[in-house]
Amino acid sequence: MVVDVTNNYQCFVRLNKPIIITSTVHAKNTRGKLVTKEEVLGKKPLYVLEKIRENLERLNEKMEVMIELQKHGRKDIQPLPDSSLDVMTLLSMPDHLRKTAMSICRCGRATAEEISQQTTRARAVESAYLNQLVIMGYLKKERKGRKAYFFADRESQG
Amino acid sequence: MSKIIAVHSYKGGTGKTLLSVNLATIFAMRGKKVCLFDLDFRAPSLFSILKVENPECWLNDYLNGTCDINKVLVDFSGKIHGNGKLFIGLANPATEAIRDMSAKDRKWEMRALGRLLSLRNLLLNDREFDYLIFDTSPGLQYSSINAIVTADFVVVATTGDRSDVDGTRRMLRELYNLFEKKTGLVLNKVLDSASKSKKEEMNSKVNTIYQVPMLGLVPCFCEILRAEGNLIFVQDRPDHPFTKILDEMAKKIENNDVN
Repeated sequence: MVVDVTNNYQCFVRLNKPIIITSTVHAKNTRGKLVTKEEVLGKKPLYVLEKIRENLERLNEKMEVMIELQKHGRKDIQPLPDSSLDVMTLLSMPDHLRKTAMSICRCGRATAEEISQQTTRARAVESAYLNQLVIMGYLKKERKGRKAYFFADRESQG
Repeated sequence: MSKIIAVHSYKGGTGKTLLSVNLATIFAMRGKKVCLFDLDFRAPSLFSILKVENPECWLNDYLNGTCDINKVLVDFSGKIHGNGKLFIGLANPATEAIRDMSAKDRKWEMRALGRLLSLRNLLLNDREFDYLIFDTSPGLQYSSINAIVTADFVVVATTGDRSDVDGTRRMLRELYNLFEKKTGLVLNKVLDSASKSKKEEMNSKVNTIYQVPMLGLVPCFCEILRAEGNLIFVQDRPDHPFTKILDEMAKKIENNDVN
């Protein structure tokens, strides 16, 4: 059986070409002979890296929410059992969240970047407020590739 | 530029419908493409004032999601002088419809807000309307606040009545300001406003009490009362002082000159 296995990963990058990652496995067989096997892994590692990056972005968003929670106190963002983003709810919201919620109402569906262009506040700030509104149950969030879209789910409620 | 205008007030009987109908007409007479909506679902009145009966669909149906907005619009352009266009969206005056609209829950109101907001795309962008005017119901009704949230500019009609002054001041502070809405105040049914000094006095009073720009000051005209809602004043009485006041208001809105 295999006694010793070492892995060498090599990554070849050529200009204007996709990254090709190969894996070279050095192992000794039962007779003690060194066997080398090279395998082209293709795009799978890229997919893994992409997933890692997405997860890091999600972590970042969660940290932004935590920062906002500490800034404004938890009382503002308690989730409600039956949340709907109607005008009375908008009226009762703290000013900083109302501005974001109003922008989403106008846009229908938007990213934090798009909302930040309307409110002239920083993207990270809008991202935090939008995530707060998601936690409170007023907004829904959907990922499409690298972008996170926020929207008030009007049709599925009631 | 303000494209969607909501006409609102704290109390009833302040002249919202009179202002809405005449503002819409004056814009149309100036060659604009205008749509006037009756959002006073508890006391619909446009169908009666404009003598329009049985549209294909009511505005209630559009907000219920059961019909397309194009089926709601009634072309009223034939009855307006000039080459502009005036369309009307009517609220259903049937008692059953009024009862039904009064019993809507928060989620329905949320969807109704979405449908009102989508009028910007459907009518201003796709059908190239110049102005949408919402005649609302008084006070803090859901339908009125939906209209205010949708609007770019709110015409606030008020009178000298003590309770109206207090209520309007509160609404300016606790409703329009919270939604960051641009507002213009119309002081209606003003007595003894003929002299210049009286006008200046009223202007300064409005600035002190309400701290918002004055869009217009409308004296109490007996001719309006005598017309009993049968006339579109700006069209039927082009030389009347009321027409001139409305013309000035329309100019201010058109030129974004409400400061």
